[in-house]
Amino acid sequence: MVAAAGSSPLSGKAVVAKLGMDAHWRGVIVVAHALRDAGMEVVYLGHATPDQLVAAVVQEDPALVGLSSLSGNHLEECRAVLEGLRSAGAEGVPVVIGGTIPPSDEPALAEMGVSGVFGSGTPLRTIVDRIAVLLDA
Amino acid sequence: MSDHTGEPHLPPPMHTTASGIPMPAAAGPSDVAPGLEERLGRPGEYPFTRGIHPEMYRTRPWTFRQLAGFATAADTNKRYRMLLDRGATGINGVFDYPSLRAVGSDDARAASDVGRGGVAVDVADDFDDLFAAIPLDRVSVSLVSSQPVGAAPHLAMYLAAAERRGYDRRALAGTSQNDFLMETAITIAPEALPPAASFRVECDVAEFCARELPRWNPISVTGYNYREAGADAPLELALTLAHGRAAARELIGRGLAPEVALPKISFFLDAHADFFEEIAKFRAARRMWARFVAEDLGVSDPAAQKFRFHVQTAGVTATARLPHLNIARSAIQALSAVLGGTQSLHVDAYDEALSIPSEHAALIALHTQHVLLWETGVAGSADPLGGSYLVEHLTDAMEERVAALVDRIEGMGGLVAATEAAWVHTELSKRAFADQQKLEDGRRLVVGINAGLDDDGARGTGGVPPTGAAGAAKIDPGHVEVKPFELPPGTLEAQRRRIDAVRARRSDTATAAALETLGSACTDGVNVMPSVVAAVAADATLGEIGTVLRDRLGRWHFPLW
Repeated sequence: MVAAAGSSPLSGKAVVAKLGMDAHWRGVIVVAHALRDAGMEVVYLGHATPDQLVAAVVQEDPALVGLSSLSGNHLEECRAVLEGLRSAGAEGVPVVIGGTIPPSDEPALAEMGVSGVFGSGTPLRTIVDRIAVLLDA
Repeated sequence: MSDHTGEPHLPPPMHTTASGIPMPAAAGPSDVAPGLEERLGRPGEYPFTRGIHPEMYRTRPWTFRQLAGFATAADTNKRYRMLLDRGATGINGVFDYPSLRAVGSDDARAASDVGRGGVAVDVADDFDDLFAAIPLDRVSVSLVSSQPVGAAPHLAMYLAAAERRGYDRRALAGTSQNDFLMETAITIAPEALPPAASFRVECDVAEFCARELPRWNPISVTGYNYREAGADAPLELALTLAHGRAAARELIGRGLAPEVALPKISFFLDAHADFFEEIAKFRAARRMWARFVAEDLGVSDPAAQKFRFHVQTAGVTATARLPHLNIARSAIQALSAVLGGTQSLHVDAYDEALSIPSEHAALIALHTQHVLLWETGVAGSADPLGGSYLVEHLTDAMEERVAALVDRIEGMGGLVAATEAAWVHTELSKRAFADQQKLEDGRRLVVGINAGLDDDGARGTGGVPPTGAAGAAKIDPGHVEVKPFELPPGTLEAQRRRIDAVRARRSDTATAAALETLGSACTDGVNVMPSVVAAVAADATLGEIGTVLRDRLGRWHFPLW
């Protein structure tokens, strides 16, 4: 689906994926629907290893990478993803993550280069608004 | 809603239940259809609406079965023993994501999830450690082996460990979750077995247990997880009953007597936020299952007609903000499970939305069960809400809605076919998104998310909930006082060393031969369980067994998006 013109808060393409072997899909699918409703084209990869994700980013050239983790694997996986993107010369694309992320891990994620963390309970409206700001910057 | 205008807010919706059943403002005799006595029966009697035992908790208290599992088997064994020492009466063991999927800890994809979300297991030796010093003939053990691909080898490894300690397999009491819908619709992972193959393995495990482990419950239909993934109460129960029907017909079709096959199927339901709707769901579940067994299958043995179930409070309702409020939520949800007649209960820990439960949170949850049974008096009389105009009205309405959904699933050719056709995935994701939208626009209120507390978190808002993003922004996440779970360092390395040690001691020729036999069983359509047991005896690892099952039975892509 292509972004609607005009009043949609977002546009462009998002590559969305689950990290590691984490099994929860409810959050990532709900957010993917919200991004699509807000005007983005969503490429949902399902589970991707860091290598697969980086390959998809190189191929799709998205405006945003959205990751999901509820199993506690976010630090290791994000580190591998961000390093992979840098090695592939794709570090310009903003990466955001949502799920069960302890607030105390947010500084470490920011330091790695993650541009947004949406913990459990974040309203969809907040996610869309923050992504809009991120993509405008 | 009016959160940006400063106008008065609407009260929360009260005219329907969470799933949309109209709620009488004050129920009376006219809200209950004639023929109530026949729909109820007495507790312990057909159709078991009022419970499966005549005196319920007076003679059969529910089992305190708190979920636990993290890091290595030795770490988790300490948590099990702590919970038993503090008054738990059963074990509820959860496995990490690679172990659930029968993917080895030595697989590159598994590395970041080893020991997270559950305990890591790779070889039968892990089950030695997991249950060390626990009397397996006296404590019933629930293995939350949700996916059949993992459930078969987990049970074989449990059996090997128990028999090494001298237990007779006929004395082992417990449950395997073993639910094909978990593998193919509810929890995602790379390389799921296709629905028909996963269902076949599920029933292979059940058939094996019917013949060899008389005290084991080899299938626990996990309506709980259907609900957490997005179902509302009627869909949760409809999927649960449709699954039970499919398993019952398959096992009887394999030649098991119905009186043997049916008691092998048990159930697991959610206790969600809407108090009376949940109680109605539990009561309707028993009645609908008993009628299916009696009327559709023609089985009159009461033991075969009983819908026996475990309940967990709704993890999805736990909030990360103001996490201590989750203690109140869980207690109220647990009360609905008790009033609804559950056989076994897990109460969620208050830090569930943030992390793997800490020891403190796990103990508060366990002791909440003790408060319910020992202090409140709610367990003294079976089905205490039986005859309530409102509860009977909702029970009947729930039954009607669930029956329509079950008919629809049966019309598609049953639950396996409905899963293959992506109907299950579509219904769940549609409802999950609609539910989130209700939260966004204030049609559903959650304290700490879109309602209830102001800037300093100390004062209420006088019964007028702020809604939407404006309300959410007022909550200070600084009130979180939860120390997140930290994986003990070295978990992955310990697990990989253990696999290496087993590979070093075994005869690779014998292991390869046992795995080849398993592969042939997959292809030939005979029960895989005996060859899974033999492969474990030949020291095959969980990942090796999973690979054979996937190679021979196929890999399936989730139709979610």
